[in-house]
Amino acid sequence: MLATLFLLAGVFLAPPAHAATDKPSGLPKTLRVGTEGVYPPFSYYDASDKLTGYDVDYIKEVGKRLGVQVKFVETPWDSMFSALQSKRIDLVANQVTLNPERKAKYDLSSPYISTTGVLVVASDNKSIKSLKDLKGKRAGENITSNWAATAKKNGATVVGVDAMDKAISALTQGRVDAIVNDKLAVKNYLNTKGTKGVKIVATTDDKSESVFAARRGSSYMPAIDKEIRAMRQDGTSQKLYDKYFGAKAAEKSGTSDWQVVKDNAWPMLKATLKTTIPLTVVAFLIGLLIAVLVALMRRSSVLVLSWIARVFISIIRGTPLLVQLVIVFYGLPEIGIKFSTFISAAIALSLNVGGYGAEIVRSAISSVPDGQWEAAETIGMDYRTSLRRVILPQASRIAVPPLGNTLLSLVKDTSLTSMILALDLFHQAQIAAAPTYSYFALYCAAAVYYWVICFILNHFQGRLETRLNRYVVR
Amino acid sequence: MTDLLQATSLAKKFGDHEVIKDVSFSVPRGTVTAIVGPSGSGKTTLLRGLNALERPDSGIVQIADVSVDFAKIRASRRGRLGSADRALLRRYQAHSGMVFQGHNLFPHRTALQNVTEGPIVVQRVPAAEATENARALLAKVGLADHADKFPYQLSGGQQQRVGIARALALEPDLLLFDEPTSALDPELVGEVLDVIRQLAKEGRTMVLVTHEIRFARDVADEVLFIDGGLVVERGRPRDVLDHPKHERTQAFLRRLLEV
Ligand SMILES: Nc1ncnc2c1ncn2[C@@H]1O[C@H](COP(=O)(O)OP(=O)(O)OP(=O)(O)O)[C@@H](O)[C@H]1O
Ligand SMILES: [Mg+2]
Repeated sequence: MLATLFLLAGVFLAPPAHAATDKPSGLPKTLRVGTEGVYPPFSYYDASDKLTGYDVDYIKEVGKRLGVQVKFVETPWDSMFSALQSKRIDLVANQVTLNPERKAKYDLSSPYISTTGVLVVASDNKSIKSLKDLKGKRAGENITSNWAATAKKNGATVVGVDAMDKAISALTQGRVDAIVNDKLAVKNYLNTKGTKGVKIVATTDDKSESVFAARRGSSYMPAIDKEIRAMRQDGTSQKLYDKYFGAKAAEKSGTSDWQVVKDNAWPMLKATLKTTIPLTVVAFLIGLLIAVLVALMRRSSVLVLSWIARVFISIIRGTPLLVQLVIVFYGLPEIGIKFSTFISAAIALSLNVGGYGAEIVRSAISSVPDGQWEAAETIGMDYRTSLRRVILPQASRIAVPPLGNTLLSLVKDTSLTSMILALDLFHQAQIAAAPTYSYFALYCAAAVYYWVICFILNHFQGRLETRLNRYVVR
Repeated sequence: MTDLLQATSLAKKFGDHEVIKDVSFSVPRGTVTAIVGPSGSGKTTLLRGLNALERPDSGIVQIADVSVDFAKIRASRRGRLGSADRALLRRYQAHSGMVFQGHNLFPHRTALQNVTEGPIVVQRVPAAEATENARALLAKVGLADHADKFPYQLSGGQQQRVGIARALALEPDLLLFDEPTSALDPELVGEVLDVIRQLAKEGRTMVLVTHEIRFARDVADEVLFIDGGLVVERGRPRDVLDHPKHERTQAFLRRLLEV
């Protein structure tokens, strides 16, 4: 079943990655660059909804100098290197920190930016001036980060906080005495939200350097490294640094949550209309078709068919949807089958709907009395006509309420595709939240959108049920 | 008179239970045959066998020009038939129409649609013609005013009459009835029997299983008394029902008259 579906879907196979001839520099004519788009100020969407940031601008400039076209492919950090390996992208420009493990596994450029840790305290704090003063004090850190380790090493008690905005407010409210964190991240936060109430008092010795990464054996790096060197020498690097981390970068500071939500209402609606809704519709319709087919196979007297159906249902219902998405998106390209993002998401979601729907359809069909099959037979109907004219119309009455639940789950499950780079509603909320730190407000807004869709669907389900119930006693 | 139906040595087992043992009979064209017998004697199984809804294990039935030797129709282990067998049975079934004890109307279709379904979908009769025909049939069974009602909006007797119209719409040579009134309230029995009586007058060939002895005596040309999967006694109604020769028939009728 799965195999046939993939074969069928093979019609949509994406064209070969880049047939165009490579440049003499060893780079392809179009360089597909993976970046998160939700990591300000390195890679994010600005107020006019344009992908921008230090890393984005930097690699664009490198591309321009090398005469190759840079095409950004938004990729969540957690799947960045899977995307690189499965050849969906050629290069990563997303603050890849240089370390020996990566050096062994990928082709890395020379560093294009470096950062250190900084020590941040409340403005009125006079006792902490260097790392040594942390002894016996409370430090607000993400407990798994190296910054937590640095704070501990200097004698501080680590208080767990999971995001920059929470760390800063813990500091201003006096719940922690200091924060040790990445200089660039701190500067960006302060540039965005304003520096009121906190100050940077020291830097640490740890230095971390960011590099571009490509697949091993890419042969891109000599050319890229040459341009990085040139940009450092002619001052371009510094200009970019000032643009994103200098004093002037503080332009957007102090935007209210409400304003952020208002600014993003339309982009989020657009993502809903362009991705979330079409994906739901396509996946549900194809999923229903699969559900009916699998349900009939499951009822079939041909042993092989019913076993294939059983196995399919059991796999779909027994594995997490997220895993199914990842397999379709990253697993299949490994064996040479590659679809566009939307189609990958649609395939995974349809199969999922098909697996759950099959059991619903099967039990709905079984609930139609045998007498109906017999009556259809005595007026001369064959199996398929009986199904179409007599059994399925009656089964649909039984199946609609549970299938309605499946549909509502599907609407919400489309948010999982933000893990595999489809630009859906939830992903749009993430993009908007990243540069503004308005996560809570924007996620609430996204929740409202989902709720409205479900509310409308529920309304139509009610009307459909009324229609289907018109022939039964009330 | 030529026989429309000729059944020879029908037999049917459910597991080890021989429900029909060796039944042969024939039905001349234009006559009515009533099958009577105690509960569990195999009447329904026999009738369903004639329509191949429940295929006999062996025996030959000829209806009109189609003859089926059930011993030769062999299903695979999981109950599937070959396509030639399926086509043969389809042709065979087309000669008879079935009226069920529990009507089995299509609940999602109106009375009219129940009647037009077969002609339009199976026989490909143009919709307008089928509808006109169906209205005439509904009028004939006294339901002209109920054509657009769903089955749940009709009484049991009306539902059963729609069932009869549905069977008639395909213009079968033979009509089969399985206790068409036994699921009805007593006051609704009459209207259904009247319709069947009317059909008998028109000279339709019918086989009906019934417990209504008086009615059987009225309309039937021949009565088969079945017990234990065998035809115990057969003949004209007034012979079998009024002067039964066989002791088992006598006992059965005595019990019926007691209630
Ligand atoms: N599908 C089946 N599987 C197993 N046994 C069956 C099946 N159908 C009928 N039987 C058995 O066959 C016997 C005859 O049943 P049948 O329904 O033909 O009797 P009947 O004469 O129509 O009885 P009644 O007057 O109660 O309707 C009964 O013992 C019944 O239990
Ligand atoms: Mg019976």
